[in-house]
Amino acid sequence: MPIQIIAPAPFVTAADEEDDEGGVRLDFDNEGDIAMDSDAPRRAGRQTGGIVTPGEVVTDDPQWMRGHGTYLCQSHESGSQSIVSSLAGTISKTNKLLSIRALKFRYVPEIGDLVVGRILEVQTKRWRVDIAAPHSATLLLSSINLPGGILRKRTSTDELQIRTFFSEGDLLVAEVQTLSNDGQASLHTRSLKYGKLRNGVFMMIDAGMVRRMKSHVLTMNTSNGGGEVDIYLGVNGYIYIAKHTTPLTESGGPEGKSVSITRLEEEASEAIYSNVNEEISPETRAEIARIACVIGALAKNGVKVDEEMVHLGYEAALEEFLQGMEWGGDGEMGRRVVEASLVKRREQ
Amino acid sequence: MEGLRNDGRRWNELRRFHCQLSTSSTNSDGSSYIEQGFTKVLCNITGPAEPSSRQKVKQDSATVSCEVYFAAFSGTDRIKRGRNDKKVQELQTAIQQTFSSIILTHLFSRSEIAISIHILSQDGGTLAACINATTLALIDAGIPLKDYVCACTAGQSTSIFDSEGTSPDPWLDVNYLEESDIPSLTVATVGDSEKIVALTMENKVRIERLEGMIAVGVSGCAKVRGIMDKEVRRHGKEKLEARGE
Repeated sequence: MPIQIIAPAPFVTAADEEDDEGGVRLDFDNEGDIAMDSDAPRRAGRQTGGIVTPGEVVTDDPQWMRGHGTYLCQSHESGSQSIVSSLAGTISKTNKLLSIRALKFRYVPEIGDLVVGRILEVQTKRWRVDIAAPHSATLLLSSINLPGGILRKRTSTDELQIRTFFSEGDLLVAEVQTLSNDGQASLHTRSLKYGKLRNGVFMMIDAGMVRRMKSHVLTMNTSNGGGEVDIYLGVNGYIYIAKHTTPLTESGGPEGKSVSITRLEEEASEAIYSNVNEEISPETRAEIARIACVIGALAKNGVKVDEEMVHLGYEAALEEFLQGMEWGGDGEMGRRVVEASLVKRREQ
Repeated sequence: MEGLRNDGRRWNELRRFHCQLSTSSTNSDGSSYIEQGFTKVLCNITGPAEPSSRQKVKQDSATVSCEVYFAAFSGTDRIKRGRNDKKVQELQTAIQQTFSSIILTHLFSRSEIAISIHILSQDGGTLAACINATTLALIDAGIPLKDYVCACTAGQSTSIFDSEGTSPDPWLDVNYLEESDIPSLTVATVGDSEKIVALTMENKVRIERLEGMIAVGVSGCAKVRGIMDKEVRRHGKEKLEARGE
């Protein structure tokens, strides 16, 4: 019995005046085997738009090597091996290596990435940190700046006081130091650039939406009396936007007076592990919210977030006189801001 | 009318099939929404992520876990189905086992892929809709699959016999009324290959009829795959265009 399956009739509204091809075919008895696969894409057929979908044969040419997002499949008839896609995405070729980049994927840590993370668990000598990767990362007690100076030796007192540095739920910015062979990351915060985050808001976007840049910590001059705002664009899609704090560099402490190296580190560590927010003016809060909305809107509309786009988006948002936290979730206004910033980028 | 079913379809006609990807923007890695006739299902995927409990850790592969929630208003009667409801557990195991064999789990050792399904409206073919929704959500999450898994139902009307004694055509994609009336089965296949990964049937049917039902179900799956593939490509193209700006 040759089976012919009729496609479901499309939902036709009164306004639709197309002829419905997928509708009820009254002549299905006369023609035996038409339309069975008429709109099912042929395997191994290159589709337009450069998208491959799971189960699609990418190539059966033995000269190619299979990379990420593909698997080998032995065909039953000829016995030849073909490379089959396992993801929906675009093909990328590196010499003879075929791999598929998915449209959306989870963050895969790489050494040197700046990430924003949240402490999940405190253990005896380390923390477990959520960095939106398949495995949570570890942060060893020995890879943070201990109070009293970078060169100080780690003691058992520090182990007992581990919660005074980071406790559950704390946000931090860190760098991926090493990777274990199953992809689990180990972080470090041994620089005054890294450490605990406060004075701001946390938000998350898709990991693929942050463009890799030279520096992932931006400092923006905001208008309307907002002052300076720091943006930590974690490569893992976690983002923290905070009021700018003076970095504790060799030139001096927060007060500007020069201090000795050891004194500086004492002051630095006290400030680094504080859990108390500074006074943040309503103007600064408004600007932080505006930047958060810009980044949310960019990611939602599929535009990669980088320094340039954040600046352009912020300018566009200022011109639109948008305020508050809510418009970033609103598709219409967000799209308008993103379009305006894309126009600005083209003009440059 | 001759040869038409109670909702006006022919024996080999699918119901209206509507699907969407990336339906919820936050708090899940992949999501999808499916309408098969009046059966409406929402699916969210989290993972691969750190397993929620120690028991779920497998050293060499990812665990697939599945949670199904029936909305109390989804059926004709208002029934609250708890976590330990037999029907819920049956669906969960069916989906979990189907997808454990299709997801390339060896790529994600010691992690968990959690499937969460909300059934918003039931009108027959609930399991089929759940499987289709899960496939789409997994694709959206960028989790490697061997191929699409597509499911479809087929039923065999028993009351109609024609004079020559030949069995009538099996009915494709049964709705709620038909499902409660006639014996029906759910079949899920991998891609175009006609390889069956899941087959369930809760009624009795004469063995001669079974082959025809499966054949019709499998052909329905192929059609469903075509529709889902079209949507994935459309969605992908749209996303690439936005990024290319």
